[in-house]
Amino acid sequence: MEVVAINQISPDQVILFSWWFVTISATLLYTWLVMGVLVIGSILITGNLSSDPTMTRWQSVLEVLVETIRSEIRDVVKDDVDTYFPFIGTLFLFILFSNLFTFIPGYVAPTSSLTTTAALAIMVFFAVPIYGISKQGIIEYLKEYFRPTFIFFPFHVMGEFSRTLALAVRLFGNLMSHEKVIAILLAVTPLFFPVVMQVLGLLIGIIQAYIFAVLTIVYIASATQSHEEAEPQTKEPNSTNH
Amino acid sequence: MHIDWFVFFSQIVNFLILLFLLKKFLYGRIIGAIDARKAKIGALFAEAEQSRQDARTAAEDCERKRQDLEERYEQSLNEARREVETYRERLMEKAREEVDYLKVRWTEALRAERNNFLHELRQLAGRQIYAATRRVLKDLADLNLEERIVEVLLARIATMDENERGKFRGPAREGGTITVTCAFDIPTATQVRLNDTLHRYLSGDMDVAYVRSDDILSGCELRSDGHKISWSMKDYLDTIEERFYSALYEEAQERT
Repeated sequence: MEVVAINQISPDQVILFSWWFVTISATLLYTWLVMGVLVIGSILITGNLSSDPTMTRWQSVLEVLVETIRSEIRDVVKDDVDTYFPFIGTLFLFILFSNLFTFIPGYVAPTSSLTTTAALAIMVFFAVPIYGISKQGIIEYLKEYFRPTFIFFPFHVMGEFSRTLALAVRLFGNLMSHEKVIAILLAVTPLFFPVVMQVLGLLIGIIQAYIFAVLTIVYIASATQSHEEAEPQTKEPNSTNH
Repeated sequence: MHIDWFVFFSQIVNFLILLFLLKKFLYGRIIGAIDARKAKIGALFAEAEQSRQDARTAAEDCERKRQDLEERYEQSLNEARREVETYRERLMEKAREEVDYLKVRWTEALRAERNNFLHELRQLAGRQIYAATRRVLKDLADLNLEERIVEVLLARIATMDENERGKFRGPAREGGTITVTCAFDIPTATQVRLNDTLHRYLSGDMDVAYVRSDDILSGCELRSDGHKISWSMKDYLDTIEERFYSALYEEAQERT
């Protein structure tokens, strides 16, 4: 069953319900599906958490997942892990499960829609300065745009936009192209080859989720830590004088 | 590439809702559980560390007690050794004293035996010499030894100087008695001669008593108020006894 036709590039084009400007597309439907699975699964698993050394398998899986994300953030950010963890964790989990469910027949990953990836990238676009300002203050944060000299300001601004665009397009491009490739392959060689490509698709989905999350961590870290890294160099001579 | 703006904003809202829900139902709970477990494990580690510390303290306490016991054991052993040494020295001292005492007793017994031997020798030798001399004089010169002894005594009385006679005269004048002690019985005729001589040279009214005593070895003595004149074989026997004593002593020295 093909939800998205081969000539449709995005699940946004599959309109399930439309009223005035409200259009419920396949993207939203599958987004809610992923959200539902994540939230209900979390409620079910965390409803009976154990703080003893022995625990259920599901709790163990979740703890490993959560600790892995925190560890990745800790490797880059060093401190305030729990400040960034909900945002980055949600990004990672949402993208990961959106991509993983592609093995379900009839499912279309919401991340294969440019609208979704653009929305996620825009949130990163706004999250980075919010974290940066909350951490450093607005003046220190804005100073970063004029370093090393004011000439670099337009390049910094362009960098912000281009990396947001890159985030959105990279995720969308990978997922969408993969779906199209599989659709084409199903038409050409319907027996064995699409299964291999499906497995490859799962791998690509995981990698893309990881790349999106890691890049977000790096952007946030660059916005929150640039000033802190420069500080020891200026303080060091004073400390040696004491 | 088309962007549906309604979907775009819906996705933003969806994401924020998902963020809120996951934060509420997943992250908080999971992190809470992890932290609680870490705290529990930390408490267990702390408890284990405390137990280890307690065990170490107990081990150190045991080691200290063991060393204390060892020191006390060494101390007791040293005290016992000292007591044993003291007791041994006391026993040795006692043994030495006993040996010395036995040695003294033995020496005294030996000396007494020697003295007895010499005394008996003296008695025996005196008697033998007396008998031999008596016989020799009888055989060679037809003389009586007792008579010759009395004669010697009479000659001594006769040859006494005035000073010596004065010593005997004093007691004689006061009605005293002169005692003539001999190792043999003096015949009556000889007694008369003695009385005459004494009355002549000393005092006419004095009493003369005759006593026989074996203590005077083959001789006679005249005694009055602590003064005496005598003749006996005592000097000869003393010489013999001295010679014997020297001979015995030399032999004993050679044997040791």
